[in-house]
Parts: sequence; structure tokens; C-alpha cells
Amino acid sequence: MTAKHPSCRAIEVDLVVTATGDAESRSAERVHRHLDGCAPCREEFGRYRAVDQVARGLRAVPAPEAVAQSRAGLESRLADLRQRRVAYRIFPSPLGHILVGRSEHGIALVEYLGGGTTLRASRLGRLEGVEAVEGGPELEGLQRELIEYIGGARRDLDWTLDWRLTTSDFSRKVLEATAAIPYGAVASYAGVARRIGRPSAVRAVAQALRWNPLPIVVPCHRVIGTSGRLTGYAGDKLGLKQRLLSVEGIKLRAARRDFSVVRDAMYALDEGEVAYCLPTCGSIGTRSLAKLTLFASRESAEARGLRPCTDCRPDLHPLPAA
Amino acid sequence: MGLAPFETVVASHHAEIYRYLLRLTSRSGDADDLSQETFLRAYRAWESLDDGANVRAWLFTIATNLARNYFRSESRRRRAYAGVSDVRTDVDPASPEEERRFRETRVLVERVVDGLPLKQRLAFVLRKLHDLEYEAIGRSLKCSPESARAHVFQALKKIRLGLNGHELPMMESVR
Repeated sequence: MTAKHPSCRAIEVDLVVTATGDAESRSAERVHRHLDGCAPCREEFGRYRAVDQVARGLRAVPAPEAVAQSRAGLESRLADLRQRRVAYRIFPSPLGHILVGRSEHGIALVEYLGGGTTLRASRLGRLEGVEAVEGGPELEGLQRELIEYIGGARRDLDWTLDWRLTTSDFSRKVLEATAAIPYGAVASYAGVARRIGRPSAVRAVAQALRWNPLPIVVPCHRVIGTSGRLTGYAGDKLGLKQRLLSVEGIKLRAARRDFSVVRDAMYALDEGEVAYCLPTCGSIGTRSLAKLTLFASRESAEARGLRPCTDCRPDLHPLPAA
Repeated sequence: MGLAPFETVVASHHAEIYRYLLRLTSRSGDADDLSQETFLRAYRAWESLDDGANVRAWLFTIATNLARNYFRSESRRRRAYAGVSDVRTDVDPASPEEERRFRETRVLVERVVDGLPLKQRLAFVLRKLHDLEYEAIGRSLKCSPESARAHVFQALKKIRLGLNGHELPMMESVR
């Protein structure tokens, strides 16, 4: 190849990009002015044009069946992933850091993070078959509602729940019975066992609640011992139970490394009844907590459609407010 | 950003990403695997993607990363060169004579393209076969748009050199 003329060398780059459709209009004009008077560059330009055309012709044209098959495979894997996907959010609260996880079916997990503030500190990160992904701003609403609830500014969490992280049908029954205990009320482990038709399974009930995947939302903090003591919460978080119950207006007194509900200061509902009583009504003061639900206020009882007992008339002689 | 729109992402872009990966790997099986992996990764990151993001360019970035990992295995790289290819291409030449010439040229070009250094090859394919902006190509290759432009330029020069002495098919006039 003979040495190029300096004016040809000067436009070499512009010639390539112009011929291959990548030039700005100013350099394209310059190239075309040069080409008008330079036959070798005209030929070179033509070759680059051809290169560009041929190169664009390299576009792969796969067999449509192969693409369709690949897409079908992808969609089935996506469907599987979507089923297993839980978007989570971690945030600070008055009860420590909390993780909330939501699947496409509903809220699947609420977790107190004891040992950290990231997914690593959570059960969610270790659950088999769960695809945990950090959620975006769409989970902010859940955080706000939960914080309001913990602070007493909200009395219900109207969340659709995904029960799939419950470990058995038995646990599911326990959790559903627990979810039916109203705001501002407490029942006992033995009481929950009776409600699901397994009166002797008190320990199993306690175990099921210990592994409640949805604490706060499924209010296992409202389940106490028949002695009136709180006995336990989420492993070793008794202080959180005491706080949650206090927010709901439940009267508690300290009792030897534990707390005890003050029965005298609460209205009582007997098993199978639709009327609530003063704690002094008949023999209700001596009934086992296995058969009672206790309410902190008339409002919390009446919010569940209960009416005042016509014998003791809690409506006429209400308990002193706290 | 909810979950439902991701289906529209698959519908809009799967075929093109598949074509891109087939072009790079020459294997429909590999294009299948890598395109599925591209979208599974995209799905996992979908929630955290900015609202205004260019989804198509983002998918190409994910696919390009996967392709680069794939080509880290040198044996695969050689196999991709070996020419046993599942790739068919679309041409629309004017006459049988032109068609022959076009096909010959294409084989030559293909050989040069497959032999390019990986970054040049990726930049070239993204630009010429998928019309991506240099900005997006730069993001895919973790380089500046200027470097992406330079990669494409080098690729074109090499292809041009590879065609020295070869009679090229007729193309439309210079202007």
C-alpha cells in the first residue's frame, strides 16, 4: 500500500464513522467534500459501507420454536420464583429492629431482629425455599402502620396474611385462634388449646406461638399463663410483651421476674357467653383463666359485639379507669 | 413498581436478548440458559430499579455481564469460534450472484468478528446488531462512551482489513 496523502489521513477516522453511520453531520460534510475530489477514499468509503451492511446482516435469526421454548422455560422459572419470593423491609421501632416480609399472597413474616439490623440477623435469610429480596418504597406503608400500632395510635392492622410459613396445620389453627383475641384483651394458652378443640395440648400451643411467624399481627402477646403471668414471649422477649399489652391498656403488675395481669381491674368473659362481667360477678373471680377472656375496657369488649351482663351491670358500675 | 409489569418486560425484550446471546455464543442451548438467567437476575433486582431507568439497556448490561463470565472459560471461547453454529442470519440480496457474494463476505466478516478481543466484539455487536447508544454500551462494558466508540471503530477497521483483496457485494451509492 502506498503512503496516504496527509489530507486522506486527516479524515480517516471521520470516513469510517461516516460510512458506518456514526458521524455527526459536520464531520460527514467534511468527509463528503473530500470524497468528491479523491477516488481512492471514495472506494475506501464504499468498502466501509459494505462492511457495515454485511455486519448488520450478522443479526442472528433464531428458530422461532427455540425462542418460544426458552421463553416458556423462563416463565415457568419466574412463576416458581414469584411463589417463593418475599420482599422484606427492616426498620427501627420502639421494640428494636423489626423485619416485615411480604409475598404475593400477603404478609408472610414479622420478625424481631435481636442480633443485628440486616437480613443476616433474621430467620428469613435462612428459610429454605424462600427467595428473600429487599423491598422498595412499597413496603413503607407497612412500616408506618406497624409503628403506629406499637405506639397505640392504631388499633388494627388490616393486612392480608400469607400463612405459608406456619409449620403445620396445628400451628395454623393455634395462630388463627390467637388472631381472634381482640385488641385490649388477653386469653390463656390453655384457653387457646380449648378453642381449637385440643384442651390438653397446652404446651404444644405455647410452642406454636413461640414460632409464630407473624408476631404483633397475630397477637401472641395476648396469650398468657393460667396463673395470670405473661410467662414468655418470642423466646426471651418478655419485656416486649409487657410493652405491647400496656399499650393496649392491659393492667399489669410486676411479679418475680415476670408480670401478672391484674384480674381485679379487668372485665371478664366466660366461655360460651356473649355478655361480659365485672370481676366480682358471681363466681367469675375464681374461674380458671383457661375458660375466660379478660378485657382492659368496656370499649374493647363491646367492639367485639359483647353486651354488659344484666346481673352485675358493668355499664352502670364501670371499673375505675387506669 | 409492582410485580405485574415484569411480565411485560419479558414479553418486550426476551426475544432480543436471546438473539444477542445466540449471536455471541453461537449455541441455542447457551442462549437459552443465559437469556433465562438474565431475566431471573433482572427479576430479583426489579424492585430496586429506578423508575426512569432504560430497561432495555439495563437488560443488555446484565446479559453482557453473563456473557463475559461465560467467555472467561477459554475452552468455551474456542468452541464458539469453531464455527459449528446455530446462527442463521437474515439477508435480502438482489440477485443469486449477489447472494453468493454476500454470503462469502458474511462468512469472512463473521470470522473476523468472532476473533475480535471480547470487549471489541461485544461493543460491535451491541452497536451494529442491536443499535444501542454508546452511553449504554459503555455501562455494559464498564467503560466510557468514548472507549465504547473506540472499540467499535477498532472492530470496523479489523473487519475492513480482513476483507482486503476480497470482492465486496454491491451496496447503494456512496451518497
